[in-house]
Amino acid sequence: MTKKFDDIVQAGRVHRTVYTDEDIFSREQQTVFSETWVYLAHASEIPEPNSYVARKMGLRSVIVTRDKTREVHVLLNRCTHRGATVCREKKGDKTPFFTCPYHGWTFRNTGECAAVPHEDAYGDGFNKQSFNLKKVPYVAEYRGFIFATLNADKGKKGIKHHLKSAAERIDEWIEHNGGDHKAIRISGAQQYSVHANWKCLYDNAGDGYHPEFSHQSLLQMTQQRYGAGMDLDYFSGGIDATPMYSQDLGNGHTFLDQRPCMYEASAFDRQRPQPGREAIVEQLSQEVGEQQAKEYFEMSTGAGMNLNIFPNLLFIGNQLQVITPLAVGLSDMTWYSTTIDNVPATVNTLRMRTQEDFTAFGEPDDTANFEACFKGMQEREIDWIDISRHLHTQVDRTDENGIVTSVISSDIHMRAYYAEWKKLMESSDESTLG
Amino acid sequence: MTDKSNSQTSYYLNDAFYDRLMRLVDDWRLDDGVSPALSIDGTDKQACESLIVAEARLADDLRLEAWLDCYSDESVYWIPSSYPAADPRQEITLEFHDKRRLQDRVARIRTGVAYSMVPVIRTRHILGHVEYWQGDTNEIRARASFIIDALFNDKHRILSGWMGYSLVKEKNDWKIAVKQINLIDADCLQENNTFFL
Ligand code: FES
Ligand SMILES: [Fe+2]
Repeated sequence: MTKKFDDIVQAGRVHRTVYTDEDIFSREQQTVFSETWVYLAHASEIPEPNSYVARKMGLRSVIVTRDKTREVHVLLNRCTHRGATVCREKKGDKTPFFTCPYHGWTFRNTGECAAVPHEDAYGDGFNKQSFNLKKVPYVAEYRGFIFATLNADKGKKGIKHHLKSAAERIDEWIEHNGGDHKAIRISGAQQYSVHANWKCLYDNAGDGYHPEFSHQSLLQMTQQRYGAGMDLDYFSGGIDATPMYSQDLGNGHTFLDQRPCMYEASAFDRQRPQPGREAIVEQLSQEVGEQQAKEYFEMSTGAGMNLNIFPNLLFIGNQLQVITPLAVGLSDMTWYSTTIDNVPATVNTLRMRTQEDFTAFGEPDDTANFEACFKGMQEREIDWIDISRHLHTQVDRTDENGIVTSVISSDIHMRAYYAEWKKLMESSDESTLG
Repeated sequence: MTDKSNSQTSYYLNDAFYDRLMRLVDDWRLDDGVSPALSIDGTDKQACESLIVAEARLADDLRLEAWLDCYSDESVYWIPSSYPAADPRQEITLEFHDKRRLQDRVARIRTGVAYSMVPVIRTRHILGHVEYWQGDTNEIRARASFIIDALFNDKHRILSGWMGYSLVKEKNDWKIAVKQINLIDADCLQENNTFFL
């Protein structure tokens, strides 16, 4: 059943029910979190054959496994017998089989039903294969980032086709982090629940308008304690005159580039001092020489790229933020941090202390604002959420590849992802796990 | 503009300090089942008891400058993101601050525009089952179970877990050198924890 969404997604505004309506949320599970590529895990989280992580693809509980031939599978974590959760741990290794705790049905990490205890009682016509764990049919990896979709057309065209020029931006992010994607490792996560619709979080992903206001505590504290010219202070004042920009990359992906300001000179020098900074600077400079150490310091500083892969993967600094809807008004916001293999250990120590900064000093204020927005969206008196900034100012430029570039404070990121959201919501594609 | 008060540099948080943290993690586990029955000087023990209670009370009362004074100049405040805690050199934590960044945290709240604390989060810590034992020279170690009730936007929330402490005598005062906050749900979804745990 498809319907048109023109009445609730319009040129410069979306209706509040897009965020608050249970039926819309339910349809998003069928469309946005099924019919397009959804990010699930990083290859470094399942490094060995027979390792796995438990994840969510929208509301679905899935197990992302690597089989003995290293192929990755996305299995529905729901026993085909009576429904029990098959795998109850969050991650593991040396696990070629999953045995359901209830009646002992056993499945290979490829999903295949391997054993049903006392099988003869099901009679001669019993076919174990019809009880394989359900699988998300299309799984693909782009340079370590594992995505899945139910949609045959998108699945066959592949992840690179879907990422479009966002793939090149991912390459740039990898380049910032040493250039070897196989050396990038997820090194723990900071997980938060946010009492807001998942799109309240995604709205912020490319929002260059808010830092001067929402992040005032960070800006004022930094100014007081460390003086001017530090982290994010280029967001104060006439930001649209800066060389920073915001882009619509197509398919709902967007990009906000802070590098022209952040990396104008040393970005490391702009950072609020990380715990142990002086000790690390001293040790690393001695170990590898000052020039090489300087390169490591810059690579330990955030990439300055806010790259948003619709619907749920955000590159922020050197971290990945993954957004998962839990209910219409509840979302999982998980920040995965990254270390690099084959660099001196102190580089990774510095990366860890740097990546703890924004989640303690910046994100909590944004989160409070997401929750406040969602609260306001319950009010029946005002219908509309405004996304019209720079819609009428003719600042957008489209290049020969169809990439639209706007100024940094533009709402282009919201208009871009809502165009994709609407397309998915109106589509008649309703794939099922066959 | 730069605040020249103490702890404006962080040379002390070097590999040796991290190694010491990992030895503390082992020690706080109390693998032998009971805290080592080493005699601690009664006056020192009393001072340490007062210190950890005062630290919790000052956080709850938002007397944050006095709260900071409970920490030694070369201290660490640490909330691991996993349970049990991993090596913070290799894994992200929920929070890991030296004294300087702890001062940043206080200064952030003091701006009055830290919206995660508007309205202010009220907390009440309850510490229990506190065990003390002798650490290195001039060091007493402790661990305690805790419950924190946090009130934000008219909603109560309960956090719980256990604290590990390394307390050191600096000049004539006992101070916190390391406080590790082990949330039982460290690896689960957290909410607004921008107060001090
Ligand atoms: S529900 Fe899984 S074996 Fe019965
Ligand atoms: Fe922000």
